[in-house]
Amino acid sequence: MLRLFIDFCDRRWFFFAFHLGILLALSGWAHAIPAFARMYGTSCSTCHLDFPKLNDFGKAFKDAGFKFPKDDESMLKIPPVMLGAPANKELWPNAIWPGTIPGIPPIGLRYTNYFQYTGSSSSKFAALTPPGSLPPLTPTTDFETGVFTLLSAGNFGGDVAFWINNDLSVAGNNSGGGLGDAYLKFVDIGRLLKLPKYALNLRVGQFELEIPFTQARSIWTSPYDIYLQSNVGAMNPLFPQQFVNNNYVLAETGKGIELSGGRHTGGYNYSIAFIDQRTGGRIGFSPYVPTALGSSDGGLGVQSDADFKDIYAGFNYRFNLERDKESRNAIQAAGPTGPRDHTYLNLGSYYFYGRSEQRLLGAGADGTASVLTAREPFYRVGGNMTFNYRCCLQFNALYMFGHDMNLLPVDATGTLIPLNQLGQITPAGFVQGRAATFSGGFADVEWLAYPWMMVLMRYDGVNSNADRVNALIANPPFTGAPFNAGVGSTRNRFTPGVQFLIHANVKATFEYQFRPAQSVIVATNPTTGLPIALNPFHTNTAVLGFDFAY
Amino acid sequence: MKHNVLLTVMFISVIPAVSVAGTLEGKVSAGNSAVYVDAISGKTFPAPTKSIVISQHGLQFVPHIAVVQQGTTVDFRNDDSVQHNVFWPSVGGNRKDAHNMGTWPQGDKRSYKFDHPGVVPLLCNVHSEMSGYIIVSPTPYFAETDAAGNFRIDNVPDGKYTVVAWHEDSKPEKKPVEVTGTAKVDFTLTK
Repeated sequence: MLRLFIDFCDRRWFFFAFHLGILLALSGWAHAIPAFARMYGTSCSTCHLDFPKLNDFGKAFKDAGFKFPKDDESMLKIPPVMLGAPANKELWPNAIWPGTIPGIPPIGLRYTNYFQYTGSSSSKFAALTPPGSLPPLTPTTDFETGVFTLLSAGNFGGDVAFWINNDLSVAGNNSGGGLGDAYLKFVDIGRLLKLPKYALNLRVGQFELEIPFTQARSIWTSPYDIYLQSNVGAMNPLFPQQFVNNNYVLAETGKGIELSGGRHTGGYNYSIAFIDQRTGGRIGFSPYVPTALGSSDGGLGVQSDADFKDIYAGFNYRFNLERDKESRNAIQAAGPTGPRDHTYLNLGSYYFYGRSEQRLLGAGADGTASVLTAREPFYRVGGNMTFNYRCCLQFNALYMFGHDMNLLPVDATGTLIPLNQLGQITPAGFVQGRAATFSGGFADVEWLAYPWMMVLMRYDGVNSNADRVNALIANPPFTGAPFNAGVGSTRNRFTPGVQFLIHANVKATFEYQFRPAQSVIVATNPTTGLPIALNPFHTNTAVLGFDFAY
Repeated sequence: MKHNVLLTVMFISVIPAVSVAGTLEGKVSAGNSAVYVDAISGKTFPAPTKSIVISQHGLQFVPHIAVVQQGTTVDFRNDDSVQHNVFWPSVGGNRKDAHNMGTWPQGDKRSYKFDHPGVVPLLCNVHSEMSGYIIVSPTPYFAETDAAGNFRIDNVPDGKYTVVAWHEDSKPEKKPVEVTGTAKVDFTLTK
């Protein structure tokens, strides 16, 4: 398979990555360890297969609230600081419930940097430059600083866990950085209701939803396309129009609360979250209404763009397939040479429901000025599957279908207003048009060829008519990303990759993206009279990165 | 007179015993080192009948270093609530003696008899930071130094021997020693 991979990719890149990895391995730097490893005096590989990918023990550690599922105290090499005597539990409510804080600040840092290659086809986009202007230059090769992230996580005792991560710097200039996940998790609150262990947890704060495959802590350098798919309606008047401007993507963090339960190492697990709606419909806030947190806008003001709270629900069931019952029920299956992950099949589904909102200045039937609000319910639904074979081979797949109600503006006579004339014709109301939908997903295989080498292959596909139509505007130059291949395959790509763990906390990554077809030439179909893209080409890219945490 | 004869007989019978049971002592530059008398040509020793226990507790091998005589059985016991594995890639540098004991849960133990002398680096393939050492001595004359590096090996018969000092972060060192009563030998190990 490695040979196939080498043949599949550009050999020069592979060997460049390999030799650079060897050089760094021999250089002897970066023996440091991140926060949990520091507290427990254990290697990253205790919880990670190929960081940040968790092994089964890492999943159990996370389920338990960032602590060992059993005998956590005896594993800690740095004792926690007691916040109150344990006997205070007996005095409640006349005493502060005792807890702990980590003996050292549980801080970890992570940094990535990259070298990227862009195929020479990128020069074809120069044709889109208006006459009289200089075309932009896309260098074929480029060194890029990546993300510098501060991580802090741990447990306050009494089953209260916390997590904060903040991208301090992105691309070397702080652009795009910011708070990632930041939450408190009350683990196993179901015990108060005498529910089975881990049947009910409560998480409060900002967090990535419990989507089937994490984007924030993925081992892939390139993001999952379907997770970044928003639904912005087709604006080309030559096609059926979609007045949808929903910028929500499933990969983004949400602010709210989550109820969850079950285990990620076997059996069921679920998540139900209620988060602020942020679909891009926010216009502004009154400066005369201070918020409960003392600000009229921004700062500690409000961020939602509607009263509605979006709802996410996910459910998974994992079948551990070990024949030996004891091994099947253990956190990690026991093999002849040592514990390893189970052979398992995980099946799941998820559903997200929200209401995208748009507001327009309009007029009623009597001509009175009014604010028109289009509330367009939307949902994302799909399923996921993982088959994991022991330590080394994993197949993952996810499918998603997105659906947004499409409310089209009409004038006082009930006539549809072409969207490109919305500023000239005053809307008076909305009628329901054909829904704006998209679908897609991904499938990947992750092969741990050696404990220090992961070989990857992924296929991404996103089918969105709106994306295609938006690219095919009637009058070039293009205004959007010109992904305008066939209607049924708007965007698809193959991404082979390989990763080398130089140390448990340092790795080299390489990915080659066979990217979707694009075009810079639009002609008119003589039969239909509609624009079509001609001479599609691919601008493939490669990225070599180094990722370390300490 | 009767008492004098008895004392004389006792004195004469004790002389050989005192002359063969010497002491070997000294200091190794690094603390927590192992010191043992290397194989004695033409001489074998019966294997000990008593086993020793090496525990895996708190993600560590306890004790971290164990010095045993060749033929000793070691019981590896998991005292953690997580599963552990025990394997070693070689014995005395000989990769043919590599062995994987497998994995077992809390409270269980597995035993192994070490028939070949040499250093056995103990590893756990679940927790890659865990390490321990068994130093299998070919003779029953061995000791582990204290933290300052001092050691003492009693009951060493008079004779000429090769003494080996070993520390996990240093190169092992051998020195010839002649024991007549009490012998002293110091080692300065280098990395």
